[in-house]
Amino acid sequence: MQMSPSYTAVAARQTLHRPDAPPAPEPARTQKVSWTPGVRGYVQRAFDADSAMIGVDLAEMQQRLKANLIKTEREALALSNAQNAHIANLNASTSYLSSGAKIPERSIKRKNEDLETTDAEEDAITPPWKKHNTNKGSMEDRMTGKSKKQDKKQKKNDAFRANGLGTNAAVLEKRKQRFGYVSPEPSSHPSSRNDSPERTGPLVGTCQIVEKSYFRLTAPPAPDTVRPLPVLEKALNLIRNKWKNEHNYNYVCDQLKSMRQDLTVQHIQNELTVKVYESHARIALEMKDLGEYNQCQTQLRALYKMSIPGRSEEFTAYRILYTVYTCNRTDMNNLLADLTLGDKQKPAVQHALQVRSALASGNYHKFFRLYLDAPFMGAYLLDMVVERERIAAMASICKAYKPDVTLRFIAQELAFFGDVDAPEPDAGLPQCLEFLCQHGGEPFVERKEDGDIRFHTGKAIAVFEGQRAAAFRSVDIKGQI
Amino acid sequence: MEALWDDFATAQNTCNGYLLATTISPEAPATDPARLYNFNRGTNAYSLQTDLRYKLQYNPSLHLEKKEAAAWHEVFTAFYAFTGKLLAAEEAQTASRPREADWSSVYDSWKEVLSAVYRGYSGNVFEAWTIPCLYVVGKYLRIFAIKADEQAAASQRDSGLAFGELQEEDAFGAASKNEKLEDAARQINRIFALCLGDRSPLEDSRKWALYYTANLLFKTYFRLNSIPLSKNILRSLRASASDTPELSAYPRAHQVTFKYYSGVIAFLEEDYASAEELLTFAYESCERRATRNLELVLMYLIPTKMLTAHRLPTRQLLQTSPTLDRLFSPLCTAIKRADLRAFNAALEAGEDEFVKRRIYLTLERGRDILLRNLFRKVFIAGEVEDAKVDGGGVGAVAKRTRIPVREIAAALRMAGATEIDDGEGGVDTDEVECLVANAIYKDSNLQKLTICCEQNHMKGYIARDRGIVVLSKTGAFPGTGV
Repeated sequence: MQMSPSYTAVAARQTLHRPDAPPAPEPARTQKVSWTPGVRGYVQRAFDADSAMIGVDLAEMQQRLKANLIKTEREALALSNAQNAHIANLNASTSYLSSGAKIPERSIKRKNEDLETTDAEEDAITPPWKKHNTNKGSMEDRMTGKSKKQDKKQKKNDAFRANGLGTNAAVLEKRKQRFGYVSPEPSSHPSSRNDSPERTGPLVGTCQIVEKSYFRLTAPPAPDTVRPLPVLEKALNLIRNKWKNEHNYNYVCDQLKSMRQDLTVQHIQNELTVKVYESHARIALEMKDLGEYNQCQTQLRALYKMSIPGRSEEFTAYRILYTVYTCNRTDMNNLLADLTLGDKQKPAVQHALQVRSALASGNYHKFFRLYLDAPFMGAYLLDMVVERERIAAMASICKAYKPDVTLRFIAQELAFFGDVDAPEPDAGLPQCLEFLCQHGGEPFVERKEDGDIRFHTGKAIAVFEGQRAAAFRSVDIKGQI
Repeated sequence: MEALWDDFATAQNTCNGYLLATTISPEAPATDPARLYNFNRGTNAYSLQTDLRYKLQYNPSLHLEKKEAAAWHEVFTAFYAFTGKLLAAEEAQTASRPREADWSSVYDSWKEVLSAVYRGYSGNVFEAWTIPCLYVVGKYLRIFAIKADEQAAASQRDSGLAFGELQEEDAFGAASKNEKLEDAARQINRIFALCLGDRSPLEDSRKWALYYTANLLFKTYFRLNSIPLSKNILRSLRASASDTPELSAYPRAHQVTFKYYSGVIAFLEEDYASAEELLTFAYESCERRATRNLELVLMYLIPTKMLTAHRLPTRQLLQTSPTLDRLFSPLCTAIKRADLRAFNAALEAGEDEFVKRRIYLTLERGRDILLRNLFRKVFIAGEVEDAKVDGGGVGAVAKRTRIPVREIAAALRMAGATEIDDGEGGVDTDEVECLVANAIYKDSNLQKLTICCEQNHMKGYIARDRGIVVLSKTGAFPGTGV
């Protein structure tokens, strides 16, 4: 008999009995019983003079011993029967596993496992150990919480078997044939499970159409409207290309949302999930759609925490910059508390932290240097801050410099460079002038005879002081468009 | 068992709420250390109802109304079940089998006690003098919840990585590791609402339990890291302020804790003026022997004072507590010496702990004071050279009020300001000017301050074309005597 090593220990117990049971593998045996040395020792000890008990005479002792031995034997027999059945089953299930293991998706595998179990049940004997033959199988069951029911049924079977009604497989087999092969669970159990309307586990989609627009679910989705993993992979590539070529945000956002939904209903959390959320976050950032951006960031944070690989450096940096924008100190504190030493050493995170610290100490000079040097798409986030910080910096400059400064100085300090890629000394001047005029600084601009444009800082304090207070008051926390 | 009922009868007959609360406390009084054990073993599940009826209804030394007796009957029934769970858990703990101690079911059974007590009040059966019972149920609910959560977290760790990953499945559903504590917060909130909504006259009102319960809620919310919820509590207290007794009429313990928490909340909201007021009150009224409480108050009061009054703690004050000394001394020394290098190092060294205590972002602003001190040093160092300029009244020391920007730059470099280097070995004067400008401009983030006497660190202006900083002739550095 071929045994897997994990069962050797149990096999050893089989030597405990080679019983007189009629249908045993060697039916020639009669009443003659060959006891193992252990059992013999036990009996001997019982009759030993040292262990004699007062009030227990020899006859009673014999009787007790007999009863004990018979009981043990029965139990052992039941065990071995169940085991034989189990081994047969094991072969079946391992062959299943080797074919099913190719499918990487946890949920898909889970489904196959279900089908397999019902097959096994039709064979009538499913020992309780079956579930433990692979770690994966048992874990999946734990996950779905489904195996309890089965275990219970199997326990019932075992009890039934151990009851002595059918202490051996052959008798059971006979019974079964008499009743015309009826499974021990006469209920239409397999079908009822498949048709059950309230299946709580993740579903697996069958939809093969790559594009799908978003529709807010109000009921569990039908599998044929949900795209499985390979299709979603195709979809992501398609949408990315479309975004590059067509730049139609409404369409892309809609598509990405439907992909996110498909991933969610199928409980898919892997690198593709991260990619979808990252793509959507980036595109939303580019379009200043902070609502979607925030939804993606929330999910990404959870996904990174599960240590699914992705661009966590980039998105941690974004998160810091976004919190700089919202001015929420509680969030910022929590964020700092969450950063690991490793995070802090990443360049993009360091940049974001420097931005934070520059703004916290009011160092506008440093902030605007960092603004021009933002990695990844940080500039999009900083764009939301920059107007307000320019006003704040103007308030400082107006207070500190007397009697006036050149326009060029202001343009430089506040990072008005015209074209960022090809900085020219005076290219930012018109922009800067426009900014000053927009905020009521026009009366304080003066063109000197030598062509130099100067700004009368001393007189403009009140204007920018007022603007500054207003600029910091109106931070929309939700950032929804 | 008898001692418990004696206490119960005495408490009922003398209206002693605190004594009454000890009869349902999970901690046996020192006089009767085996109380819970005796209570639990003194009866059993079958005779419990009869025993309780005998003790509560037919007890000759008690004169409870029928409804009241029934309510206490429920409480003690739940309490009996609870003692069983607690004793089993404690036994497992002391027998060094902590994993078998089932704190989760201790929590659940204590919650039953809480519910029974709650029903006693919501049905207006229990009188207001018994409110210490509410303190006890609330206080221990929080404690057991923390224990249960810790145990759940530990058993998750033990069961290995694979299982932990499965748990993460719920990361999207925000399944929390503080399940019980969150539940406890909800229960305590129920008690809070129960007290807040009491319409009886003040002499006999549950409103006297308001601040104790509020403090318990603050404590729980802070631990859950959901501080914003505390603001709801403050809001509802404010809304019902007109028909609530003055805070000063409550026991001092309630007052101090309440002021401390509302002070910290104000601190976190950057309302430093209120924070200073509230925390100062807490500090001054706090029991002197409660060193840990004093330390907690100072943890927030010191950074607050640093911002509002530019005041640093004295050495003696810091030495009263090793923790405070360790956390704040390096920073304070650096600020006093205007040593930017040491300041940055101290801030970085303590970052984790500062962040954990939520004072990092505030302490960081100590840099402004440090720079002010540095500029002041430059100013004082220059005063001798320029003595001739001053016409001079009697006793007035002549000061050079025009300081070249390059001198300030040199001072910054000596102090260890690396950020002003322009990357080519020179100095980025624009950045130096920016730092000076910030010192002249009031601290940008102190805008919310209302009581701050001197908002700017330095009086004067930058004359950019001439490359000098012109300081005010009088009081260039407000509040420092220069």
